Amino acid sequence: MQVNILNLRKNFGTTRAIDDISFSFASGQIIGFVGPNGAGKTTTMRILATLDEPTSGDAKIDDISIVEVPEQARQLVGYVPDSLPMHRDISVHEYLDFFARAYGLTGTQRRQVVENVEEFTNLTGIRERTLYALSKGMKQRVSLARALLHDPPVLVMDEPAAGLDPRARVELRELLRILSDQEKAILISSHILTELSEICDRAVIIEQGRIITAGTLQEIAKSDVEQHTVLIRPLDRQDDLYQVLLLIPNITAVNRLENEIEVKITGSDEACSELLENLIRDGYRIVEFKQQGSDLESVFMNVTKGEAQ
Amino acid sequence: MKSIGGLLEKIDDQLNPIVVKELRQAVQGKFLIVVLICFLCLQLLTVGLFLTDRGVRESFSAGQDVFRVLLGMLLGTCLLFVPAYTGIRLASERADANVDLLFITTLRPHSIIWGKFFAGIVLTILLYSACMPFMTFTYLLRGVDLPSVFVLLAFDFIVVAVSIQCGILIGCIPANRILKMILGAGWLVVTFITFVTLLFTMFGPSGLLDSGIGSQLGSWKFWRGALGVLLGGGTSIGLLALLSMALISPFSANRALSVRIFITATWVLTGAYVGIWSRGVNNLDPILLWATLHILVYSAGLFVAVSERATLGLRLRRTVPRKRLLRPLAFLFYSGDASGVVWSSLMIILTLLFIGVWLIIFPRMQTGDNIEAVGPLVCLGLYAFSYTLGASLIRRRFLANRVTSAYTWVIALILLGITTTIVPLGLFFIYGDWNKEWLVASPLGPFLFSDTKGFVSNSIAIATVFATFIGALSLPWFFRQFSHFRPPLETEQQTAHGNGSG
Repeated sequence: MQVNILNLRKNFGTTRAIDDISFSFASGQIIGFVGPNGAGKTTTMRILATLDEPTSGDAKIDDISIVEVPEQARQLVGYVPDSLPMHRDISVHEYLDFFARAYGLTGTQRRQVVENVEEFTNLTGIRERTLYALSKGMKQRVSLARALLHDPPVLVMDEPAAGLDPRARVELRELLRILSDQEKAILISSHILTELSEICDRAVIIEQGRIITAGTLQEIAKSDVEQHTVLIRPLDRQDDLYQVLLLIPNITAVNRLENEIEVKITGSDEACSELLENLIRDGYRIVEFKQQGSDLESVFMNVTKGEAQ
Repeated sequence: MKSIGGLLEKIDDQLNPIVVKELRQAVQGKFLIVVLICFLCLQLLTVGLFLTDRGVRESFSAGQDVFRVLLGMLLGTCLLFVPAYTGIRLASERADANVDLLFITTLRPHSIIWGKFFAGIVLTILLYSACMPFMTFTYLLRGVDLPSVFVLLAFDFIVVAVSIQCGILIGCIPANRILKMILGAGWLVVTFITFVTLLFTMFGPSGLLDSGIGSQLGSWKFWRGALGVLLGGGTSIGLLALLSMALISPFSANRALSVRIFITATWVLTGAYVGIWSRGVNNLDPILLWATLHILVYSAGLFVAVSERATLGLRLRRTVPRKRLLRPLAFLFYSGDASGVVWSSLMIILTLLFIGVWLIIFPRMQTGDNIEAVGPLVCLGLYAFSYTLGASLIRRRFLANRVTSAYTWVIALILLGITTTIVPLGLFFIYGDWNKEWLVASPLGPFLFSDTKGFVSNSIAIATVFATFIGALSLPWFFRQFSHFRPPLETEQQTAHGNGSG
């Protein structure tokens, strides 16, 4: 199953929340959807879940358009919002039973599905508790359980790890891995980028409603040519080297560590190579010169400006 | 036992999920329990106070007196709390930023709306059943007959059902919190007026209770009224339900179809009913009442129509008839601004034609009063057409980049407000004197001064010129919209398919 987001635009009055967004993902993939607050992540996800309508553009799940036939698309998408809508006077089991009925499940099948989902999301022990009395982590599990009731091939999860304690995060990560193994296409947004980089196959970085970069994590790291972090370990003359590095124009930051100097250098791989060459020519005895690979967090910090719409 | 279990399971599966959820939440929540306990306490107190009064033993109307108070309390409670509870819950589920996830399940809009309605009805039945022992007691106290008790309870029940559906419609309207609060306040005022009117109808000097319903059960007059209430109640519930369903249906669906078919069918059925009624009483009044209600509905329809979308999506265009001859008829029943304007205008014309034809067939019904009553209706239709289409024209020509079509109704209301209040008030301040002619461009004027000679005919003349002028200016737009009403070309379908697989 292939999900294609095609030139999606959404305006709220004169504000353009998302602007010509296009990307795709398929069954078995977990896609990280990353961006600063107000970048348009939730809007995109709500459109995919058919909660909002785009101003223009479309999203298709295989050939099913979420704009033209939202009723059919709803059968294929499970949406986990960033917060569980409040239902004060209903228990976990009743809540899930209602949604199972709403998705057309009947009789023994409905009871079986609800029990299985409760077990899968570890809700069996709290099924008689009212939603109002649940912690944030428990509510997130209920939300995931609700999204899984109709066994959708596509899961759209908006900040599912927000507010979870470390244990709950590990549990969520495990659940996502199992769901990915079940060939579900998963789009997940999160602010906890270290988490995302551990579970995602690919990532889409968005800012001010536009896609900044997209691809596998390695591709994104490679494309992050703006800035490199280099660790330099000289044999001696560390203070001299520190002073010299501060004067080089394309070096934006120099940090002294215990035996090493961390340098942030602007430019491509060639700039790094040139720096090493110059240092050796100037007589510095370099023991180690190591270019650090970019992780999702550093890429995110480099490519975004942190501006909302 | 096993078969009973299987049967119960089958019944359980057939239950509307919304009803199950709403009732579970209602019985587990505090609101209903508090209302029910307060209601029971009030009834107990009322009956207790009556019984401690020594005069009750000698009175032959004690039962009727207690019944009046109890029915008033029941009606007030049901009319205020049940629609408010249902409507507010739905409004919170439809809030812009927090639309409940039940709206993205595979539940169809009709299941959601009827589910909400039946949940409200069950709550009403619960309140009714809490009142029943006390109502039975009033019969034992003398002064009230059983048919009166049952008929009045049924009458109130229909009104409460309409009010519940009205609450659901307000809950479905896509508006921000402030607008919803304004609508809620409006509903509260209408509810209060309804409550007072009902009390007057039931308990007034020549009200239903005093006239003794039991003795009227054999008369045609009673059943004609009862049929009218049933027909009116059923039609109102049906229309409000269809409007609510249209509001929560996907944008890409033909949201207008069921509403327009229902109203057209209602026009035929209620038209036949008031025709028979009018012949029976040899009076045009039933038809005038019917025409006024219908023209009001179609005038409101014009405001909605100009705010609808201008273009149809692929999903709808795929269902447009390929035969050119069928398209004009189909056009009337598809969502869209131009089709809505044509349908509403056509229904207004048909309604006015109905009165004209009726007066030709039955010339004896033609009186001066009738003609004065028809004139304002003509003006209302013409002005609704002119202001809404004028607003659409202004938006398209001058405000296309600033105001979306969804807000055309606001421009129409502003134009209406200018001619109805701002211009007359401005002229009043300039000249320091009031002249009724200043309201000649307002649809209210002919209603307010229908007895003033020449005023209505002047209004009709001005409204006709205004409507013709706006209609002529809008003709190119109309033909453009109609020319777009066609099935998609093969290339368009392929592009859509190509995007999907690409």
